[in-house]
Amino acid sequence: MKIEVTVNGHVYERDIAEHWTLLRFLRESVGLTGTKEGCAAGECGACTVFLNGKTVNSCLVLAAEADLGSVDTIEGEAKGGELSTIQAAFSRNHAVQCGFCTGGMILSARDLLSRAPKPSVAEIKVAIEGNLCRCTGYQQIIEAVLDASGQLTTANKGELKYV
Amino acid sequence: MSEQPNGAPMKSVGVSHPRVEVMGKLTGDALYTGDLTMPGMLYAKVKSSPHARANILSIDTSKAEGLPGVHAVLTGHELDYRLGLYVVDKDILAKDVVRHFGEAVAAVAAETLEIAIRAVELIAVEYEVLPPILDPMEAIKPEAPLIHPDLGSYSYVEAAFSPQPGTNIANITRIRKGDIEQGFAEAEWIIEREYTNPSVQHVPLETHVAIAQWKMGDEVTIWTSAQSPFTVRNLFCTAMRLPLNQVRVIVPHVGGGFGGKAGIHLEPLVACLSRKAGGRPVRLQATREEEFSLLPCRSALTYRIRTGVHSNGTITAQQMSMYWDAGAYADYAVNVTRASSYSAAGPYEIPNAWLDAYTIYTNKPYGTAYRGFGHVEFFWGLERHMELVAQAIGMDPLEFRKMNLLKPGSTTLSGEKITEHTGNPLKCLEEAAKAIDYSRLTPEEEEHEARTGRRIGKGLATLHKAPAMPSFTATASVVKMNSDGSVVVNIALTEIGQGCNTAIAQIAAERLRFPIDKVKVAVEKDTDKEPYDWQTVASKGLILSGNATILACDDLLQQAYGDAGQVLHAAPADLDHDAEKIFVKHRPDESVTFAALSIGYAYPNGNGIGGPLIGVGRYVAQGLSNLDKETGQGLPALDWTYGAHGVVVDVDPETGEFDVLAIASVFDVGRVVNPAIVRGQCVGGMVQGLGTALCEGYIYDQQGRLLNPSFTDNKIPTAKDIPDRIECMAVETAQLDGPFGARGVGEHPMISVAPAIGNAIQAATGAELMHMPMRFEDVWRAMRDHKPIDNWITDSPVGSCRSDLTSSRPWLEVAVPSQSEPVEEEEGVTR
Amino acid sequence: MTAGFSYRSPVLREELLDLLAEHGASARVLAGGTDVMIDMRAGFAHPKVVVDLKKVEGFSRISWSPSDGLIIRPAVTINDVISNAKIRQSYPLLVECARDLASHQIRNRATVIGNVVNASPCADMSPALLCLGASAVLSSKEGQRVVPFREFFTGVKRTVLGVGEILEEIVVPPESADARGAYRKLKRIKGHDLGIVGVAAMNNDGVLSLGISSCGPTPLLVDGLSARDPVDVAVAAARDAIHPIDDLRCSREYRAHMVEVFVRRVFQEVA
Repeated sequence: MKIEVTVNGHVYERDIAEHWTLLRFLRESVGLTGTKEGCAAGECGACTVFLNGKTVNSCLVLAAEADLGSVDTIEGEAKGGELSTIQAAFSRNHAVQCGFCTGGMILSARDLLSRAPKPSVAEIKVAIEGNLCRCTGYQQIIEAVLDASGQLTTANKGELKYV
Repeated sequence: MSEQPNGAPMKSVGVSHPRVEVMGKLTGDALYTGDLTMPGMLYAKVKSSPHARANILSIDTSKAEGLPGVHAVLTGHELDYRLGLYVVDKDILAKDVVRHFGEAVAAVAAETLEIAIRAVELIAVEYEVLPPILDPMEAIKPEAPLIHPDLGSYSYVEAAFSPQPGTNIANITRIRKGDIEQGFAEAEWIIEREYTNPSVQHVPLETHVAIAQWKMGDEVTIWTSAQSPFTVRNLFCTAMRLPLNQVRVIVPHVGGGFGGKAGIHLEPLVACLSRKAGGRPVRLQATREEEFSLLPCRSALTYRIRTGVHSNGTITAQQMSMYWDAGAYADYAVNVTRASSYSAAGPYEIPNAWLDAYTIYTNKPYGTAYRGFGHVEFFWGLERHMELVAQAIGMDPLEFRKMNLLKPGSTTLSGEKITEHTGNPLKCLEEAAKAIDYSRLTPEEEEHEARTGRRIGKGLATLHKAPAMPSFTATASVVKMNSDGSVVVNIALTEIGQGCNTAIAQIAAERLRFPIDKVKVAVEKDTDKEPYDWQTVASKGLILSGNATILACDDLLQQAYGDAGQVLHAAPADLDHDAEKIFVKHRPDESVTFAALSIGYAYPNGNGIGGPLIGVGRYVAQGLSNLDKETGQGLPALDWTYGAHGVVVDVDPETGEFDVLAIASVFDVGRVVNPAIVRGQCVGGMVQGLGTALCEGYIYDQQGRLLNPSFTDNKIPTAKDIPDRIECMAVETAQLDGPFGARGVGEHPMISVAPAIGNAIQAATGAELMHMPMRFEDVWRAMRDHKPIDNWITDSPVGSCRSDLTSSRPWLEVAVPSQSEPVEEEEGVTR
Repeated sequence: MTAGFSYRSPVLREELLDLLAEHGASARVLAGGTDVMIDMRAGFAHPKVVVDLKKVEGFSRISWSPSDGLIIRPAVTINDVISNAKIRQSYPLLVECARDLASHQIRNRATVIGNVVNASPCADMSPALLCLGASAVLSSKEGQRVVPFREFFTGVKRTVLGVGEILEEIVVPPESADARGAYRKLKRIKGHDLGIVGVAAMNNDGVLSLGISSCGPTPLLVDGLSARDPVDVAVAAARDAIHPIDDLRCSREYRAHMVEVFVRRVFQEVA
């Protein structure tokens, strides 16, 4: 079936098999591989994208459902050759290790900050609850979101202590 | 390999430099193996066994082969190759016999994933289902059916391992130190307990994936998400009987490994599919469910410890028995057994020690390398045991540990003498205890108890680990200068998220005295281009590759100085350099830039001298030796990293639910190369440890089927699960032969989290937990002396579970030849 | 997922019901997809036609009136419930249960009606709907019928919903508005997990109802209780109503214990 989807501001007209997920459509039809498959069951969040302004697990969305809709992926986060505030904060705060969860994590953070510009740590945890990370232990990711929202202080930023 | 030659303060080492490869990860540009497509690429799917143990009577692939779009179908009998890192016991596809649930019995390569899935459905396998052997304590009995009847004919690494043909024992490792009978005779107390933990999955976010192309002339290229490109190549060539030069292994970005990607996994199958498909590239990506059952996991362990102590708390003797449930194949498990053995008593002085460790085959998904390489598994038992011993003799657990900790002059289980440079376990323990106010409840904590009705408990645990690696492990580093004076570093140590590329860049920058943005570490690894590295495991990368990189930098500088000396008409000894140029020390205006030398220097008249500046450094672990097969004595340890955790939990006394309120972790890392990365390892490892403590573990039914092969019932921690208070601390007792004094810390943060939590829960409620994971229900049962539920092999059919296993099994007579009489057995505590 | 199916997304209610009547058991309704997609991938469902109802006019609406009560329609997501001002004000129990369902991304897609129709014994929304005395309006091409939720569930993942029928409205009676509610859910981790045991309670002017999940093939309603009686009465009634099993998540003993603990705790909160 033919679908027309706007991805990161560009319109894509494609002919797809109806059973294709949005995740597969993005990776194989549009060619944007930044959105990852981690479980294909809506548990890990590595496939998180914005669909019509809301974050979803794209592995559980049919590509057909995105027809005439708009999708934002991690590839659309940096604009004009500049990292976004959130991306820069992730780098500064060492919120990235293997990087596989990072795309989904950043989009969940963006979603949170658009709803709650100064989120608490508890709100951050709820926002990224559906994004599993096996590498970082989440603490530095939380600090990155605090940093991106202008809330990181010496009081709430953890440092390695020398003893 | 320590300080800067002129003692100047460091500019790169010790700085929290952002990760050098972070950009692509932030933007989604970083390519992982599953993102790669090759022209003409086919998609593979595996047919897995639904049975844990069965004879394969027939496989009918005719319908699959006839399906349009299918280019290759493979079954075991077509592949006359054997794999095995240490014991060569595994076929690429099961031949005649299936040994675990999820084992691959056939595979397909087709033009689309859909066709491949359909083709797999069309393959008809006829099984004769047999009762599986699931319990390692049953498998080890002499009358148990054999999982590998041909064990005696397998080749294996004789220097290190002792498989026992005619049994299900893939390896025995022994330690004999001192006089065990005398040691127990001197003891005033003898405490014996048993501790268990199940198999656990690494759960990298990126599942295993490989692409292979087997071209004309048997030239094979493999792209794979792997930790060790050279090991993939070497094992592949050994199995396939190919010369090394014909095989090229490329590793792009890797989405986590944790040991699960340390060896060789999907690559041989994918390559054989490509060969059968006429040389088309083939890609196979494991689904998450396959990650749990087709790919290997971490061995389960039953650890029995018997300790003799004086009333004043000094340990006189310790007898240790480890039963490693390795699953269907030996893979890394035999080495986990060996490497755990000389470490098994923890950072404590045991004057008289006796250890028997068995790697046991069972009909379950098999154990491979996993972060900690056995240490997470056995430290659960060991540090719970130290707590229980202390309690049995009425001593404070902190004081008991301090009394027995290794100190300069102590000897380890394998006879190594500890010096003041080995590290400082006492400092780690004391700082961990201090950070959580171990000996008391603070006013805030008392108020918390009053307000919530929960009870707070505090627990400590120590840890140590040395890299588990061959005694002659070596690596090399190449540092090449670009024509603008910047450098590229090539190492085969693989970035899997641990930050090694950044650390190596910082070390190179420090040694060269360049700003770090002039140092690039190549991300993609390619066995055609990177120099040899053994494996990205064992927390040895920083020392070995760090040192090799320092030597490579020195080599490059020596070449540069030699060329500069000619240009400047000066002796190299009279030269010095900064980030841009080499100059004469006593006439600094006389200089030549690195850029001008970098690819050969041209005099004004056109004469050329020198050439491209390329530094090569190689470094081998020095002075290490094999363990004596009878006594386990030897020098296996490149270095020891010590650490400790202090944990504060609160427990709901009504329900057994508990929360980790705070955790303080301390590691003696020698020298912190990048504080934020050390902290990242600390927190990340701690949370992985939390998962293994709280909720992770394979659950089987009596038929050996894995009941939790997905995230639905194999939970890992989310952001909501981390403690509110996490402290990470570093001690710096310099590793004299480490780069700038550094030693590794990649595995260590996970090792003793679980026993620290178990100790804290016991302190809070008296609940004595002997089995990991500690689910809320387990805590509840332990608080009430209800019978514990074994959640790891259930007694009931699919969908329900119940068992009556008690936590301490009666001692089993093991019919394996031993050197001397086992010490008299008694359950529990004797005086 | 290899099965070929055709995808339809009607915009008119009649079109939807026609499609379902036409295709019968070979059609599967798609709302949030968080259950259907998983079933299809696992091979538990192989529809020939997937009918997406999210574009049907009016299906995203939440409405309230003092006479009709609260009406939730098929495309209303869990996050829609959490952010709806009227529900937060007058039916906070629904919000409390919704907050603990899965993760934010799932809540953006999963629908209340989908959660109920999937009829897992551990469903998060069912205990609250039972307590609140809600009813299901079932529609097909043939007509409509109303089934109180206490009669809606018939077994594990089974309901009275017939072929060609959809659950078009959840109606929560106006009498339940502003009642006091509380919910406790036992999970294995603090992060997103299905419910090992769930207990919801409602105290509507002294009338106490409990909804219990994961303790039987269907979610259970325990009503006819009084918030003025000692809590032991409620505990005993709950104990009688539940038939927990042992499974790989939990033993029946612990489930029964946790039901008792939760009943005491929610009682304390609402009584």
